[in-house]
Amino acid sequence: MFLTRSEYDRGVNTFSPEGRLFQVEYAIEAIKLGSTAIGICTSEGVVLAVEKRITSSLMVPSTVEKIVEVDKHIGCATSGLMADARTLIERARVECQNHWFVYNERMSIESCAQAVSALAIQFGDSGDGGSAMSRPFGVAILFAGIEEGKPQLWHMDPSGTYIRYGAKAIGSGSEGAQQNLQDNYTAEMSLNDAIVLALNTLKQVMEDKINSTNVEVMTMTSEKLFRMHTKEEVEQIISDLA
Amino acid sequence: MNFMGIEQFPDYKVPGTQHQDFSPYESNGGSIVAIAGDDYVVIAADTRLSSGYTIHTRKQNKLFQLSGKTVLGSTGCWCDTLALTALVKARMQMYEHTHLKTMSTDAIAQMLSIIMYNKRFFPYYVSNVLAGLDNEGKGVVYSYDPIGHCERATYRAGGSAGALLQPVLDNQIGFKNMQLDGEIPKVSKDRAVAIATDTFISAAERDIYTGDAVCINIITKDGIEVKEVQLRKD
Amino acid sequence: MALAEICNISDAPYMKMRNFTTSDLEQESQRYVSNLMNPYVLQAPPFENPVENLNKIQASSDKTGIKIEFDHGTTTLGFKYKGGVILAVDSRATGGQFIGSQTMKKIVEINQFLLGTLAGGAADCVYWDRVLAKECRLHELRNKERISVAAASKIMANIAHEYKGMGLSMGMMLAGYDKRGPGLYYVDSEGSRTPGNVFSVGSGSIYAFGVLDSGYHWDLEDEAAQELGRRAIYHATYRDAYSGGIVRVYHMTPNGWINISNTDCMELHYKYEEEKKNKKH
Repeated sequence: MFLTRSEYDRGVNTFSPEGRLFQVEYAIEAIKLGSTAIGICTSEGVVLAVEKRITSSLMVPSTVEKIVEVDKHIGCATSGLMADARTLIERARVECQNHWFVYNERMSIESCAQAVSALAIQFGDSGDGGSAMSRPFGVAILFAGIEEGKPQLWHMDPSGTYIRYGAKAIGSGSEGAQQNLQDNYTAEMSLNDAIVLALNTLKQVMEDKINSTNVEVMTMTSEKLFRMHTKEEVEQIISDLA
Repeated sequence: MNFMGIEQFPDYKVPGTQHQDFSPYESNGGSIVAIAGDDYVVIAADTRLSSGYTIHTRKQNKLFQLSGKTVLGSTGCWCDTLALTALVKARMQMYEHTHLKTMSTDAIAQMLSIIMYNKRFFPYYVSNVLAGLDNEGKGVVYSYDPIGHCERATYRAGGSAGALLQPVLDNQIGFKNMQLDGEIPKVSKDRAVAIATDTFISAAERDIYTGDAVCINIITKDGIEVKEVQLRKD
Repeated sequence: MALAEICNISDAPYMKMRNFTTSDLEQESQRYVSNLMNPYVLQAPPFENPVENLNKIQASSDKTGIKIEFDHGTTTLGFKYKGGVILAVDSRATGGQFIGSQTMKKIVEINQFLLGTLAGGAADCVYWDRVLAKECRLHELRNKERISVAAASKIMANIAHEYKGMGLSMGMMLAGYDKRGPGLYYVDSEGSRTPGNVFSVGSGSIYAFGVLDSGYHWDLEDEAAQELGRRAIYHATYRDAYSGGIVRVYHMTPNGWINISNTDCMELHYKYEEEKKNKKH
């Protein structure tokens, strides 16, 4: 029995001779089929902006949920398989609530990301405690939150790795978008500038023309915490972009 | 389930035999007093450990320093105290490793309540008073019933002489039912220590389970100062 | 040894060697903190029928001098009227004959639109109210809509039913405001759950009911309703030794709850006495 290289991608429990787990890498590739999501962290707060793919005019756009509230102080933007995202978001919410229940305090964003990551890497054959799924989750998540009055942005990918970012783009347009963020992001920028930058970046990478129904915008500030922008507000920002 | 040996044997009676009830608890005595101020908190406990009319030791510290700004005083059934405080310390260490920070006094207070309620149907027989500085640096005292009902207060007495000491504190610190002009006077740190010491001197006079010495922890932002005052040894 | 063999004592669980492996030890230590992971899982007692056996331990207190006294709470009332729901409670917590606290919070703020009152075991009520608060928040996040009072009270009743016979002691009212308007439910540790307009729970409730029933009608003005609740609790604290401390009044309005007043009984006593005197003249 001699496995050719390409056969190492059959199972999630076998490394290739070069030390790669192909299924995990493929899962990361799956994110690149998802809609684009952008997160930018400023000293005033974090902005999350996502593209919603409205594939049919018969679809009800409001039911496509790409930005969700995990707790008052943590919001998430997801890209990839939405069904998988639901499972991870549910875990994030339960962990946050449980943390409040036991410690009477808000969970830190890093701890929340860590809890979700623990679920995300529970794939493969069931070992001790059982596995969540037989394959890796096909989702990347941006966590936007407030901790001790300061905004933070974290990113987690299907391998369970979570890293803190100043600005991050995920999804199909992520390569172009990340380049654009790299060129224009500064840590000192205002929240309003960040919203404009996020939507401008989305506008450049989206296939459809940007409008108030195919994007969602959320801001996380220490004063108002999780706040989704209304359709009218988004419309206003888009019209100002031009 | 019934490995402790009750309900194991058939229900028959032999003349002359005595039936012993399952008695898992013991009262080892000891009292705690805690007083909180704006930027300090004082917690004191006596050091006598007894069982029935026997004194086991005169040098048992009943104050557990959980962190740089939180101290738990625990009396009652000493074995339950040991089990509970060991568990709390272990969980605090785990918290520190997962969340990369030390637990705040408020977080410890809540967790202690939950841990105690876990044994709702076979409670820890303990009287707990938790003292510490909160996130703003203010002194706080939390007191507990045996199954984890927790109340935040500014002063509190607990343990075998709790019912003896609390009224003294109500009078000296709470100024309860007095005709005062304006606000309740603030208690300085030195006065709090003095009152705590005095209450123990009084308790040693009237409670057989309290005496020998009183250990006092004074928690401020600069750390925990430990003092010991000798009491009656009879 | 032979007798032991015949009696099969060596088969009894307490005669078996326990080979601790790491995972055994892990499980053992997890038992003590099971409710940190899942609040519904409490440690089982090492004896059957906890109500009876815990009482047995309590009963032997004459010999051992050990009596576990839980904090107990007492007079609470709640009623619906045209302006929403009024909740009023005292603040005395008693452990046996001893007054453990005169400042206990017997109204738990579950969220902006849901309040719970507690009577019976303080720890039971506070713990399970906290579980309820967690469930309500999760409901809100999952469904993007606040939970109804009916659903919230049902969660509580289910918990009570799950632990029925284990000796929990709770008598609580849940008050809230939802799509259906003001809501008031009574839930207790026996598992019963009833909606209603006027409730009073606890040892002082008989006294509170007297005042409450004589002054209650649906069309009360806000201020009169709040005063009725306050007065009813005051009279309960006067007659019932297990009630006292501070009289707290909460008002549930369509925009969430408001804490109307927290007045010391003593203050109310002299105020009402004064009113009585003035009436006579």
